[in-house]
Amino acid sequence: MADGGAMAAPRAAAGGTMQRMARRKSTVAFLLTLPLLAVIGGLVAWPAAYAMYLSTLNRRMTAFIGLENFAILLDNETFRGVIWQSCFFAITAVVLKALIGFWLAHMLHHIPTKGQRLWRGMLLVPWVIPPALSTLGWWWMFEPSYSSLNWLLAVFAVPAVPWLGEPWWARVSVIIVNVWYGAPFFMIMYLAALKSVPEQLYEAADIDGATGWQRLRYVTLPMMRNIISITVLFSLIVTFANYDIVRVLTNGGPRDLTHVFASYAFQVGVLSGNIPRGAAVSLFMFPLLAVIAYFVLRGINERTKEIGA
Amino acid sequence: MADATLSRRGVLAGGAAITALQAPAVFGQAMPTLRCAFWDHWVPTGNGALRQLCGQWGERNRVNVSLDFINTTGNQLQLTAAAQAQSRSGHDIISLAPWDVGSYADQLEPVDDVMGRLIVKYGPANQVAEFLAKHRGGWRAVPATSGTQNKPALCRFDLLEQHAGLDVRAMWPAEDRRGPGADNWTWDTFLRAAEACHRAGVPFGLPMGQFTDAVDWVGALFASYGARVTDERGAPTIRGNGELRQVMDYAVRLARFLPNDVWAWDDASNNRALISGRSALVFNPPSAWAVAKRDAPQVAERCWTIPMPSGPRGRFLAYLPWNSAIWAFGRQKTAAKQLLEFLGERESAEVTTTTSNGYDIPPFATMSDFRVWSAEGPPVGTIYNYPLKAHHQATPSIAFAPAPPELASQMYIQALNTKVIARVAQGGETIEAALGWLEREINNMRRG
Amino acid sequence: MRIGSLKAERRWALWSAYVSLIIAAIVMLAPPFYMLVTALKTSAEIADQSGNPWIVLNPTLENFAAIIGNPMFRGFFWNSIQVTVLVVILTMLISVPAAFALSRMRFYGSQWLATGVFLTYLVPDTLLFIPLYQIVGGLGLLNSTWGLVLVYPTLTVPFCTWIMIGYFASIPKELDEAALIDGAGWLQMLWRIFIPVALPGIIAATIFAFTVSWAAFVYPTAFITRPDEMPLTIGVVSQLIRGDTFAWGQLMAGALLAALPPVVVYAFLMDYYVAGLTAGATKG
Repeated sequence: MADGGAMAAPRAAAGGTMQRMARRKSTVAFLLTLPLLAVIGGLVAWPAAYAMYLSTLNRRMTAFIGLENFAILLDNETFRGVIWQSCFFAITAVVLKALIGFWLAHMLHHIPTKGQRLWRGMLLVPWVIPPALSTLGWWWMFEPSYSSLNWLLAVFAVPAVPWLGEPWWARVSVIIVNVWYGAPFFMIMYLAALKSVPEQLYEAADIDGATGWQRLRYVTLPMMRNIISITVLFSLIVTFANYDIVRVLTNGGPRDLTHVFASYAFQVGVLSGNIPRGAAVSLFMFPLLAVIAYFVLRGINERTKEIGA
Repeated sequence: MADATLSRRGVLAGGAAITALQAPAVFGQAMPTLRCAFWDHWVPTGNGALRQLCGQWGERNRVNVSLDFINTTGNQLQLTAAAQAQSRSGHDIISLAPWDVGSYADQLEPVDDVMGRLIVKYGPANQVAEFLAKHRGGWRAVPATSGTQNKPALCRFDLLEQHAGLDVRAMWPAEDRRGPGADNWTWDTFLRAAEACHRAGVPFGLPMGQFTDAVDWVGALFASYGARVTDERGAPTIRGNGELRQVMDYAVRLARFLPNDVWAWDDASNNRALISGRSALVFNPPSAWAVAKRDAPQVAERCWTIPMPSGPRGRFLAYLPWNSAIWAFGRQKTAAKQLLEFLGERESAEVTTTTSNGYDIPPFATMSDFRVWSAEGPPVGTIYNYPLKAHHQATPSIAFAPAPPELASQMYIQALNTKVIARVAQGGETIEAALGWLEREINNMRRG
Repeated sequence: MRIGSLKAERRWALWSAYVSLIIAAIVMLAPPFYMLVTALKTSAEIADQSGNPWIVLNPTLENFAAIIGNPMFRGFFWNSIQVTVLVVILTMLISVPAAFALSRMRFYGSQWLATGVFLTYLVPDTLLFIPLYQIVGGLGLLNSTWGLVLVYPTLTVPFCTWIMIGYFASIPKELDEAALIDGAGWLQMLWRIFIPVALPGIIAATIFAFTVSWAAFVYPTAFITRPDEMPLTIGVVSQLIRGDTFAWGQLMAGALLAALPPVVVYAFLMDYYVAGLTAGATKG
C-alpha cells in the first residue's frame, strides 16, 4: 500500500511556503497520476462496464434482452460443464503448483548456497518462455502419431496414452502444462520466503529436539503462511482466467470438455460471432474474482501491518 | 502495409510476380488499387497461382492488385471477415468460408452478372456451391477455385488389399469408368474394412474433432443417410427422425474401429496418421499424399484416392468450397468483378489447380478433366478420382445443409455433428440422450 | 551418538535434495529440449518413427535457416519488437510518476487509487478482451499494432505501478525532506533522487513489462488477423501451423527463436528478474 507515514513531515511543518507547496503538490500529483487514471478508467473500468452492457444485448446487438444471455448460458449443459472444468482446472493446478513449488523451494534451500543460483536458473526456465510457445512444444510431445511421451512410456512397457483425445487425459494434459509453467514461480516465491525465516527459530527448534516434520509444521509453515496464501490466491485468478494453454493444446476439445471460461468466451463471442453472449461468459468469472480479490487485499493489508509492526 | 507484404513475399515467389505487379507503377500514373484477402493456401505453392494470375490481370487492366493471404488456423480469415463487416472497411475482395456468404449477404455486392456469364460458358456450378453462394435468389459471391477442396478417401491400397481384401485401384481405376466392386463401395463395406484394418493395427484415420476435416466427412456421411438435423428455417428435425438414428448407430459402430483419440484430431492429425504409415485410409485432399511424397515416399507411392462410400440415399462427397465475395462498401467494385470473372475462367482455374498439385477444385463440373489429375504421381493416377467425376455418381455435400446460414455457421464452427457422435461413442450416452442434447444445443443457438 | 545421527540426517537430506532437483530439472527442461531436438531434424527424420524421438541423428540448421529466411517471420519479430519497446516506454512513463505520486504525495483519494491499481491488476485480460474488441474496432485499430500498443498497458501498468510504489515507499523519508528543504520541486525530487535510488526496482519493472508484452497472447489473438501486423506469439501459433500439414521442424525453430529474447534477458538479468517477481506478490 501507499506508504502510511510518508507525508507526515511536510504536514507538520506549517507556514505559507508549505501551504503553497501543498496546493501545488495536489496539482502535480494529479498530473502525475493522470495517465494512470486514463489507463485504469479508459481501458479497464470502462470496458468492464461496457461488457456488462454488451451482455444484455441480443446476438445482432439490436435489442436489449436483459439477463436472457445469462439464463441461456445457465440452461446450457456445455456451459455448465465449462463452469465445472474451470473450477476443477484452476483448483487442481494451483494446489499442484503450490505443493511442487514448495517442495522444490525446500530442496533448493537445503543445498549449499553457491549451487542454488544455477539450479534456480534452470528450474525457472519454464516460467520465462512465453506459454503460448512452450505449449506448442508440449502439444508436439502429446501428438498422437508421433508422441515422444508415449515413446518414453513404451520404453517402460506402459501402453500409449491418448493424451488429448480422451476427456480426462486431455484435462490432465492441460493441468500438466499449466503446472509445468507455474510451479517454478511458486518455487521462487517460497524460496524467498524460506530465506526470510530467521535461522534462530530453527536452532531453537533443534534444541527442543524437534523432528524435521515438526520444524516444518511449527516453524516454517506459520512463518510462510501469508506468502503462501497470497501466491495461491493470485495464482487462482490467473489460472482461472487462463487462455493460451487451452487454446493451443486442445481448443476446448474433445466435446468441449476442456473449455475454460476464457476459451469458451472466445469461441462463443468472437468465433461464432455472438459478442453479447461471449461477454456474458467472461462476466461469469467476475464474482469469483471479486471474492479472491477481497481475500488478497485482506492478506496484503495484514502483511503490510506485520511488516510495519 | 499490404503492398509491402506483397513485395516482401513477391521476392520469395520469384521475379515474375514482382515485375508483373510493380512494373506499371513505374510509369507514375495513378492506378487504382484493388485489395484482396485470399485464403492462405495449405499447399505451399498454392498462393503462387493467384499471385501470377492477379499479376497478369493487373498488368493487362492497369490495376494494382494487392494480395493478402490469410490463414484459417485459429479461424483467422473468418475473424478478418467479421472485423471488416463490423467496421465496414478493409479489402475489396475477401475469401469467405462456406457458410459465411449467407451470414454477410446484406453487405456483399451482387455478382449475378459475373456468374451469369461464367455459367453460359461453363454450364451450371455444382449445387452446393450454388446453395452457399446464392442468397434470396441472387449470387452474392463467386465460388472460388483456389482453396476449394474435396475430401474423398485417400487410401493405402496395399494395406486395404492385404487386410480388407479390397483392390481399390481395380474398383476405381484412373479412367472414367467403375471397376469391379465399385458398386459395392458402400458404408457397410467401409465398416468391414475399417474393422479389418483396425485389427491389423492400421486403423482408418477419421478425425472426429471440431475441425473442418471432421465436420465435412461426417456431414457427407449424414447426407448419404438422408439425416438432417434442422429444416430450411432452422427448426430442429430431430424427434422421430429415423435416418438420424440410423446414421448415429452406424457412426458409433464405426468409431469403435478408429484410433481412441480421434475425438481431438485436428486437420493435420489425419495427414500425420497417413504419412506415419499408421493408417490405411483418411478422408483428405491430396495434400497428405503430397507431404508423404516429400517426407515418406514409400508411403506416398502406395496411396490411391477413391470416392467416398455410398449410403442408403446415395453417394455424397465431402466438399469445402471457398467463395470470393466483394464487399458492398468497397471502392473498386467494377474492377473486383472483372478480376473474379477472370479468375473463374477455365484457363485461370487450370493454372490454379495445376499449381496446387491438383488440390484446388473448380466449381464447374465441366472442369473436372484437368490434366494434372491424371498426370500426378507416383503412382500415376493416384488423384485421378479426386475431383468429382460423372461415373462416381456422387453429389457434393456440405454439413448442416439446408439450415439457414447464420445457424449453420454456428453449428459448423461448434462441430455439433461430430460432438453428438462423440457423446455416444466416447461419452457412453445413449443415442436418444445425445440427440436430446443436440436438440437443446440447436435451440440454444437460435435463442437470443 | 546424536551428532552422528544428525550428520547422517543432513547427508540424507542433501542427497534427497539433489535427487529431487535433478528430476525436477529434467522435467522442466524436457519440453524446450525436445523443441530444440525437433528443430534440428529434417522433415524426413521427424516423419521416421523407427528411432528414439529424443535424439537427433543428422542435425541440420535448415529449419532455422528457413525460418530466419522467411520474411513473414521476420515481420513478426519486428512487430513484436516495435510493440514491446513502445509499450515498455509507455508503461514506465505512466507508472513511475504515478507510483511516486501515490507513495510520496498523499492527496485526496490516493489511498483509494492505490487500492484501485491493485484491483485492476487482478482483472485478467480474458475478462476484457470482448469489450475491448468492440472498443478497439470502433477506433479502427483492429489489425493494427497500434491497437496492441493501446491495450497492452492494461497488462503492464498496474503491476509496474504496484512494485514501484513498494520500491519508493522503502526509500527513507529523510531524503525527500532534505530535498524539500533544499527547495527542490517534486519533479526534480523524482528525477534526481527517487529514480536513481529506486533504479533496481525500475529495472525489475521494465523486465516485467518487457516479458509481459512479449508473451501477450489473448489480445493479439483477438485483435490481429492479418499476418503482416502480427506479433510473434500469435504469428508463430497461427501462421506457422499451416492447416493440414505442419512443418514441425520450422514450427519448433520459430517458437524457440521467439522465446529467445525473454530467455536472454533472463539469463543476464536473473537477479533483477527474480527481485521483480518476489517484490510484493505477483501473478503466477
